[in-house]
Amino acid sequence: MNNLVDVAIEYGPTLLGGLKVSLTLTILSLALGLPIGLLFSFGVTAKNKAFRYISVFFVEVGRGAPALVLLQLMYYGLPNANLTLSSMASACLALTWTTAAYSAELIRGGMQSVPSGEIEGSHALGMSYRDCLRFVVIPQGLRIALPSLMGFAVLLFQATSLAYSVAVPELMSQAYSIGSSTFQYLPVFIVAGLLYAAISIPATWLSVGAERLLSRHL
Amino acid sequence: MEQLMIELNPQTTQPVVQVKNLAKAYGSNVVLRDVSLSVAEGSVTAMIGPSGAGKSTVLRCMNLLEQPDSGEIVIDGHCINAGKKTSPKSLAALRRSAGMVFQHFNLFPHMTVLRNVSLPQERVLGCSREQANEKSMELLKRMGLADKADQYPSRCSGGQQQRIAIARALALGPRVMLFDEPTSALDPEVGVEVLEVMKELASTGMTMVVVTHEMAFAENVADELVVMADGGIIEKGHPGQILKDPQHERTRRFLRAVLER
Repeated sequence: MNNLVDVAIEYGPTLLGGLKVSLTLTILSLALGLPIGLLFSFGVTAKNKAFRYISVFFVEVGRGAPALVLLQLMYYGLPNANLTLSSMASACLALTWTTAAYSAELIRGGMQSVPSGEIEGSHALGMSYRDCLRFVVIPQGLRIALPSLMGFAVLLFQATSLAYSVAVPELMSQAYSIGSSTFQYLPVFIVAGLLYAAISIPATWLSVGAERLLSRHL
Repeated sequence: MEQLMIELNPQTTQPVVQVKNLAKAYGSNVVLRDVSLSVAEGSVTAMIGPSGAGKSTVLRCMNLLEQPDSGEIVIDGHCINAGKKTSPKSLAALRRSAGMVFQHFNLFPHMTVLRNVSLPQERVLGCSREQANEKSMELLKRMGLADKADQYPSRCSGGQQQRIAIARALALGPRVMLFDEPTSALDPEVGVEVLEVMKELASTGMTMVVVTHEMAFAENVADELVVMADGGIIEKGHPGQILKDPQHERTRRFLRAVLER
């Protein structure tokens, strides 16, 4: 127990620095991945063949391949194709892909559960297809998808720990390097786990609150 | 000057709605065969008939919610030919001149009552927020719903929701209102509120086409009664006359079923 407190005090700043990198990676991947996911959610059902095939490819590969494989592919694989990215950039690219692929399906599910009668209603009023999406389908579809998107965001935050394998100095890799230089693996991983939980658990509460706020009209 | 132009415009003497030789089939299932119909300015046409007769399909073809296989639709001078490709512009023009009210209201549940009525005015007519809200409040007052403006539709009763839907359609200034079984999803007591509003609307000279099972409304309010069965019009004429003395056996059978239950 003493050991745990000592480790937390001594290596706290390093671990917190890692946590900051983890959070940055999560936020960047979400900020880039969610808009692309929204685009793909239309793409997978689009009439335009090129748009549809490209979307289906990225969604299926992004969901089918483990995030770890995508990470390694971007960091170790792309240099073979003469494209060398920094560890942070390649991790960000891989997790953006994962985010876009999963969120595309979550958003599409949300949009499809908007009752067709409302879409018909907007057509009958003479509203354009774009207006129907903008005012009727997307706001409600996103609201329906939001709880699962927030759940996914928590999973993504935890998945950033995989980025230690491509040398991103995030929380997991900081914990690992402290462990390997001090052999205090047990306390250091416990502290790291607590730090992940300290973000993940309140984030889950937040998603419940957001859900309540957004469904106040029901 | 504008007034003069309207008076001289020969279109105003034409029927507001004309449907010519409308046909539609889903695969081998024929839902409409050669339906022709014309609705005079300021008149109320009630369409009755057994379910599956194609009443709703005719109505939904009128503003192209269903694409007919063949035939022609003219509403307020905007002509749509089923054989030719419809431009988005003429489709928008057609839909703007026809207001539609659905059985299940189809309000936008995530918007307040006021937003429901104002948004289409802003997006379709290009009104400013203030203009739209003013018009919406005026219509909501007319529907007896001014106090509901800031509520969400789910907080309103079915009858109130249907009146909101009527206000939303009226706000766009349609030349004809299409009602697709507006009271069928409501219990009879609540349905009366909606029928009262429709009666009031008819008395102000609004052209209306109403698919309904409300025989009293068809008899007392409609100027023209259309009886449909098996995808075609089997009888049309003055409501009192048809209800008293139906010419067609199928009409008699239907009326017996409806009136003697």
